[in-house]
Amino acid sequence: MPTEDTKVNRAAAGAIEVADLTFAYGVKPVLQGVSFTLEKRAIGLLGPNGSGKTTLLRALLGHLKVSRGSVRVLGSDMAVDPHGARRRIGWMPERGGILPAMSGVGMVAYLGELSGMPPTDAIQRSHEVLNYVGLADERYRKADTYSQGMRQRLKLAQALVHDPDWLFLDEPTSGLDPSGRVSLLELVRDLARAKGFGVILSTHLLADVRAVCEEILVLREGVLLDHGRVQAESSGDREAFIVEGFGDEQAFADRLAGAGAQVERQDRLWEVALPREAGARRILSAAADCGFALRRLEVKTETLEDLFFRLLDDDVAAAAGKEA
Amino acid sequence: MPVYERGYRHWEDSGRRAAPAWWAIARRGIAEPIKSRRLLFLLVVAWVPAIVKGGILYFTFKMGELTRLLGGAWTDITAPGFHAFLKWQSPFVLIVLAIIGANLITKDRRENGLALYFSRPLGLVDYVAGKGAIIMFYYFTVTLFPIYALCIFGYLVTNGATGMEMLLEIPLRATAYCLLAGAVYALVLLAISAMMTRTAFSVMWWVLLVAGTDGLAEINALFDARLAVMGFPGQFLNAGTLFFGASPHLEGVTPVVSLAVVLLYAAVGWLLLRHRIRPVEVVS
Repeated sequence: MPTEDTKVNRAAAGAIEVADLTFAYGVKPVLQGVSFTLEKRAIGLLGPNGSGKTTLLRALLGHLKVSRGSVRVLGSDMAVDPHGARRRIGWMPERGGILPAMSGVGMVAYLGELSGMPPTDAIQRSHEVLNYVGLADERYRKADTYSQGMRQRLKLAQALVHDPDWLFLDEPTSGLDPSGRVSLLELVRDLARAKGFGVILSTHLLADVRAVCEEILVLREGVLLDHGRVQAESSGDREAFIVEGFGDEQAFADRLAGAGAQVERQDRLWEVALPREAGARRILSAAADCGFALRRLEVKTETLEDLFFRLLDDDVAAAAGKEA
Repeated sequence: MPVYERGYRHWEDSGRRAAPAWWAIARRGIAEPIKSRRLLFLLVVAWVPAIVKGGILYFTFKMGELTRLLGGAWTDITAPGFHAFLKWQSPFVLIVLAIIGANLITKDRRENGLALYFSRPLGLVDYVAGKGAIIMFYYFTVTLFPIYALCIFGYLVTNGATGMEMLLEIPLRATAYCLLAGAVYALVLLAISAMMTRTAFSVMWWVLLVAGTDGLAEINALFDARLAVMGFPGQFLNAGTLFFGASPHLEGVTPVVSLAVVLLYAAVGWLLLRHRIRPVEVVS
């Protein structure tokens, strides 16, 4: 029977722990004091181009000598013993990642062997994962003759071949047409939700994160802006409303502001953000108090896109404040 | 039916022993080029000197002094005779290694394959050892394996008259030399391959290093024999005389100096590989 201690160790062994991770290419800082802990689930790594997403994935793979901080993946310190963890990580790179002059099945089996699989297991497993990603009919073709969509599937297959615990996917839908993108995201979602893989999906496409992930990390210029559940983050601790009406608009706005609301005029409409617990009642009472006739009152749901841009705006504003 | 409904089965380890990563790399790298008919033809051609030497050995024994009139290394079945045989094989070494080795790391760099390799549980030593073993195998194919074949053939043709020299001493000397030369050739060629992203440039630098420096050294040696030290392949052959007990290949450069130069090439090759082979490099 496992003791509490073993349970804790097993939990830790399935996790990714990053503490104060700092890394620079030369003098240019790429990651600055990044800290988080991830359990096995689907995690979106969001950020604009050049925000440090790929560098963070490489740090998680133990490819970088970090200037400060530590990275522990599946219980292994990646600065000391990256090989132990790499047996249990599958990585799908954004660029390249196809070994030329090999057939699809040959390449996947080869990389399986390099992951520590016996040759017969690797070849058998290669057929299985290529079937799973939908390349069964094309598996004997040379990998460098594959279309972009097939290449992405092949890269996913090579990441899966050794049946890892975690999949690190770097821009997996890059260069795909809409139907290819949807089917690849279906695969990733299936792996994360139904097959029990931990997935880190690095992307700048918010829709990809929304389709697959339960949790997000938001990076900007190497700084971790946010880490939380997608659902909770999308709604936030404030609730926004769209309001339209007639009457003394200034008095209505002042009263709402006095009640702790953020009020923003957009043409004929008002966007009013209130603490979640306040609800619509505060708007209704403010309107009644100043004789403002409401024509329209509806909840505005904050999307992941809104959240993403709000976080970026907040960060820019904070930086400007610091400079001032 | 959505593709993901085809199912996914987690892998259950069969318990069979996995090969070391370097061996997986070497096995794949050795098997792939053999599929090329052109390379097979070249390898057959590279065995022609061995076949000729074998034929001469046969007739020498059967016809005695008559064929000894041919003279020279062709009929020499002592260790220095086999050193001369390695010298004849030099053009084949240049061509075969250019075909096999120039592309080995270049293509991985070009396709961002290094990052794929190093996302697996293997390190620089595994990678270099695997790639190096491919080069060494093909180097042995045109040097050491023909010597083994000749030694066995010579032993059989002479009904064992050559004794243990043919069966043990010469193969051992050849093995020691070819291991050293093959390893250094591999390190140098891999270092060139690691510095390029186009195979044509790797081939060009390899040919310049081997043929170019050899030609330059021969011209310079006309003025000062010590300048023969500039020639890349000449140092291997000159150092090889230590292994085969032959007279020095170069005038003005002692075999020991050549051996030191060969080891220096190995060190420089390794340092370049350490510097150039990095998983984080992305070549677009």
